[in-house]
Amino acid sequence: MQFARSGAPKRRDVLKSGAVLAATAALPGFWMPMAQAAEDQPAIGTWPAGSAGDSVFIGISVPRTGTYAVQGEDELKGYMLAVEHINSGDPLLRAISPKTTKGVLGKKVTYGVADSEAKPNTAVQEQSRFISQNKAVLFTGSTSSAVAVALNKFAQREKVLYVTGISGSNDTTGKDCVRYGFRQCFYGQTAAAALAPVLIKAIGKDKKAAYLTPDYTYGHTVQKSMEEYLKPAGWTTVTNQVAPLGAPDYSSYLLNVANSGADVLLNINWGHDAVLSTQQAKQFGILAKQKLVIPYQIPFLAKEVGAELTAGVYAATDFWWTLQDKFPLAKMFVESFEKKYGYKPEWGAENAYMSFAMWADAVERAGTFYPPAVIKAFEAGQHIQSMVGEVWMRAADHQLVRPVVIVQGKRPADMKSPDDYWEVVEIVPGEGVMQAPDAFGCKLGPYT
Amino acid sequence: MITWPNFVSQLFNGLASGALLALISCGLTIIYGTLGVLNLAHGAMFMLGGYAGYVAFQATGSYVVAVAFGALFLVVVGAVIERVVIRQFYDRPPEDQILVTFGIGIVIVELVRLGFGSLTKTVPPPSWAAGVTPMGFLIYPTYRIVVLAIAAAALAALYIVLYRTRLGMIVRAGIEDSGMVGMLGINVYRVFMLVFGVGAMAAGFAGIVNAPVVSLTPDLGESILVQTFVVVVIGGVGSFPGAILGGLIAGEILSLTSMVNPAYSEVMLFVVMTLVLLLRPQGLLGLKGRA
Amino acid sequence: MRRHIPLLVEALTAIGLIATPFVVPHLGFAPDTVNQILTWGLFGIGFDLLYGYTGLLSFGQSAFFGTGGFVAAYLLTNNLMANVPLALLIGIVGAAVAGVAVGVIALRRTGIYFAMITVAIAETFFFLENSPLSAWTGGENGLPGVPTPTFHLFGLTWAVGTGWSMYWFLAACYFIGIVVALRIVRSPVGAILIAIRDNPLRARAVGHAIGLYKLAAFVVAAAYAGFAGGLLGVMQGFMPPDAFTFDTSGQLVMQTVIGGGATLFGPLLGAAVWLYLRDFLQAVVGLGAAWKLVLGLVFVLLVTFLRRGLIGGLVDAVALLRGRARPAEAEGDAPAISTEPPPLASIARRRRQDDAFTGPVLEARGLTKTYGGIAANRDIDFTVTAGELRAVIGPNGAGKSTFFKMLTCEVPPSAGTIRFHGRDITGLDVSRVCQMGLTKSYQVNQLFARQTVAQNVMVAALAERRGIFRLDLLRSIRSVRGLQAQVEQTLAMVGLAARAEVPVAELAYGEKRRLEIALALAASPSLLLLDEPLAGMSPRERVETVQLLKNIRRGRTLIVVEHDMDAVFELAERITVLHEGRKLAEGTPEEIQRNSFVQDAYLGGVAAE
Repeated sequence: MQFARSGAPKRRDVLKSGAVLAATAALPGFWMPMAQAAEDQPAIGTWPAGSAGDSVFIGISVPRTGTYAVQGEDELKGYMLAVEHINSGDPLLRAISPKTTKGVLGKKVTYGVADSEAKPNTAVQEQSRFISQNKAVLFTGSTSSAVAVALNKFAQREKVLYVTGISGSNDTTGKDCVRYGFRQCFYGQTAAAALAPVLIKAIGKDKKAAYLTPDYTYGHTVQKSMEEYLKPAGWTTVTNQVAPLGAPDYSSYLLNVANSGADVLLNINWGHDAVLSTQQAKQFGILAKQKLVIPYQIPFLAKEVGAELTAGVYAATDFWWTLQDKFPLAKMFVESFEKKYGYKPEWGAENAYMSFAMWADAVERAGTFYPPAVIKAFEAGQHIQSMVGEVWMRAADHQLVRPVVIVQGKRPADMKSPDDYWEVVEIVPGEGVMQAPDAFGCKLGPYT
Repeated sequence: MITWPNFVSQLFNGLASGALLALISCGLTIIYGTLGVLNLAHGAMFMLGGYAGYVAFQATGSYVVAVAFGALFLVVVGAVIERVVIRQFYDRPPEDQILVTFGIGIVIVELVRLGFGSLTKTVPPPSWAAGVTPMGFLIYPTYRIVVLAIAAAALAALYIVLYRTRLGMIVRAGIEDSGMVGMLGINVYRVFMLVFGVGAMAAGFAGIVNAPVVSLTPDLGESILVQTFVVVVIGGVGSFPGAILGGLIAGEILSLTSMVNPAYSEVMLFVVMTLVLLLRPQGLLGLKGRA
Repeated sequence: MRRHIPLLVEALTAIGLIATPFVVPHLGFAPDTVNQILTWGLFGIGFDLLYGYTGLLSFGQSAFFGTGGFVAAYLLTNNLMANVPLALLIGIVGAAVAGVAVGVIALRRTGIYFAMITVAIAETFFFLENSPLSAWTGGENGLPGVPTPTFHLFGLTWAVGTGWSMYWFLAACYFIGIVVALRIVRSPVGAILIAIRDNPLRARAVGHAIGLYKLAAFVVAAAYAGFAGGLLGVMQGFMPPDAFTFDTSGQLVMQTVIGGGATLFGPLLGAAVWLYLRDFLQAVVGLGAAWKLVLGLVFVLLVTFLRRGLIGGLVDAVALLRGRARPAEAEGDAPAISTEPPPLASIARRRRQDDAFTGPVLEARGLTKTYGGIAANRDIDFTVTAGELRAVIGPNGAGKSTFFKMLTCEVPPSAGTIRFHGRDITGLDVSRVCQMGLTKSYQVNQLFARQTVAQNVMVAALAERRGIFRLDLLRSIRSVRGLQAQVEQTLAMVGLAARAEVPVAELAYGEKRRLEIALALAASPSLLLLDEPLAGMSPRERVETVQLLKNIRRGRTLIVVEHDMDAVFELAERITVLHEGRKLAEGTPEEIQRNSFVQDAYLGGVAAE
């Protein structure tokens, strides 16, 4: 086993040592009250302490400063709306989690919010505080896969459930997957598998591609996946410009791209990095010669760079609000979100809402907060309704099987409302595009 | 990717970013040279200049007004900071001065974050410089060429102020021998206030001029500050020509290394700085014995 | 006095650490916050040794924090090693090695240069870790899955968990850290580090290789950083990439300054304040992202008004209250210099290899110093024989100070050679020359201003006792043989024995001048140069000091630069007259008085004053 824990067996080991440790055993940390629970459900993580009262706590850490701050705020609103709906038993939530009445197993959901700055270290520290101080039964938050991977491992060590926020890396439910972590959203490989045929059809075969890639797990895996799915159609990579998170200027990278002779520019950068690099690509005249593609759609990108830049651009995404014309749940979500926050939700909010709703559903179906039982409820493969139709959790890697939405940027003249940036081109079903669960080396680890 | 077109492109890009770095570094170096204070808030002032320009642009829609306001605002901010805080620190060890300017930098950054949020703000380039300029095989944003020209002009203006005016004479005298200024029967404090203002202005001016290129975040200044240090150490602390030379060298290193692998650009910058320190500790154009 | 109870601080620390888990939960601290505070506190101990004690403000400690952390985490997560303490130790060594490499470069400069270079080097480490080394460090992902230690002792097993369980492990580490640091502070090296902070020029001039001592402090600080970095990974089960960022260094600096430098415990307090305020401002006050603004303002105010941080402020406040309560504890009158020669011979002076030399003590040939084309000294020949008391006189601007600086190797001559006891010392370091038995007292006092009289003398005596450099970090300063006796006798000789425990700042001017001479004397020089020892003294102080000079010349060779002609003619056996950078005349006092050149150039001028 990879992690040492402060679980019951070890405590017993300590106590076995008897008189010598009698003094130290009285100290906090050596001594914890033995679980009052039944023998088949020994205390684990924050259970049963976290659900002993009449409310349960969720720790939320999203980036509120730094490169991913904009997306983090949107995510946060999705989480807050979901908590409100769980506690009030809103029809939308009950459509996703039919057993929900009010709260979760009758307990009110409360939450704490902290700024992760999109840094793994900060996120881990904050969640560690939520777990020890607030006895969180669930935690969430990431707008960076580096954070998601760190929190994944942290969840497994602490034996507290974790639902990822936005995380596009294949590794999150691949080689860095854990028993205690679950992902709702799409990711690099599914994005590539869904987007590549559309690109090949629209742009053609045998194209030269240039990549702008952020230097961490999300960027690397998305880049690799795109390359892999475009290769059969004769696409070649002429340059892959790997930039650190939060680079202040992309001119050097873009000159390399400009002089690479590429036909297509695939910009994998995210958050503010995507805004900046896209704007600068325009300034360097690159977008006049190379077709821009956004493999992993960035909430608010079109708004920030302007519709002129995203016009005609293909992107893969989790959700776009005009899906409300097609899915009734999407309509309910967009309406209640807009009513509360005054703008159309982006996919970060949708992902956040769905993640909490699915957790509520799993707990209700398990009938207990006991984490292994909740995990098994998740793993039961129950088909549930979502804002993009029917979806289900894959037991082998804890990845939700869900469609990938391909969108194309609208020209400003075609926009029917100020928020009408993207046109949904295709909704690619999830089963067809997802890799085999063990393709990325996922080993989930133990339940206890 | 080393090809001739790319080499020439990157060379030019290095010149453009180097000129801007030189301008910021000049601000740092004349403040240090005259007042003996290393201003760790310099990066924050660069950022603040951008935001000040952004506010002015929002109000008037005029690029020229934005630049003028950004620069003037920083003169005032610099002078006020000197008068209220820095002045308490002339008699204290350099470490204290570093600490207090470090703190001021954080306060500025967090104030801007409080006022403007973490969302990026953009100032568009003026319409007459919005397009691209084809220069043979190299396509370069027109505005970046304008930035290069503006930075060069600003450096020339600073040169004239420093070498052709009475204030410049006093500042340079202060750089040569800080005791001398007092002996010249000049109100040293007023000069210090002015110099701090001018130094802050150099950073703020660069900040607003650069704003259409980068888009603004409160954390914009931090990496610039570190690069400015490298520039100043390479060129020689307190040396105006050294800051210009150092700026251009740093710009070229960053740009040219990125041809091979952008990940090594910054590393290469620090390698060169280390080499300079080992071979010529006072910096390329620095005066010996001033450390 | 606290220092007389052995291990009091250690005992109090242990009690505090044991009591913490029972007390702080009531103050609203979660165990994880406390654990973070301990890690920062340990990180800060090293930084405090570097900045608080040695005066080197580094903004690059994150480099070593990250190095130690990633070395340990890499070993532990790649199944290369299962033993957590051993991995931590290797991490510490790795950080220390990095510290040597960085220190050698960064310590070439001081002050702002040093600060800027450390920033830049730390950034280099960050970029290296982030990209080129990402195969080992996980790049932006960091290294998840760092295990916690398990200890097997006497058949017992203690598997460290999280929360308060982790606390005990961290507290033990912190305790080790503080015990070692306390020993360092109380060692001879500790005293020398403080001296370097207060007056590096003098620390060097009394014979310490301050470059090496600074490097030692730098490496120790790096080792502490590496230790803390390793613990960060173990504590969180995750080694984060942001351990290398400038923010980490900046936060460390701010926490140390908030808590109070040169206290060892300041960083711990600073970290507690920082993390508590962070949580409090975010969670309770609801400031959100603005919490950092408040901390920034607090920091600026502290730097401006409470420079010594919270602990320093507390100490000052207590001292103020005590001072009011006991005003009777004032100093007595300065005692006069005894005309009886003190028994200096009883101090066992370290033997020097030149003791058997019988030729001239000092022999300078053709000494020339030019500054940018202007000659301050030109072609001076100068010989002093053993036991002589030589005076060097000349009008202002005659080049006496430059001449002296060359003789003690403070500045290298542009041309010419200097031989001391027959050995060529031209271009040697001033500290090495002092170790050979040649030192000087300064025209403008060069004291260790924040120390007591005895501590001042001790710094100089340590150089004489221990040589130019010795890394006895863990040895008590009181175990240095003969040190106490040498300090006492030196103080007795200059008439400051009764003032031994008085801080320098409280001395009268004349006393400071005598302490200045005592610093030079404590190095047991065979040749002592005195640069205007009577400058600025009252008539009574002059009489005392002249007597002092008469006392100390026994068994020594003295060269004195002085303006007080009465004293010069009373003391000196031979006089050398400098004029416009050249040697004008040399001879007995009578010969000089008769010399018409001297009268024209100099003595006449003085008489007219």
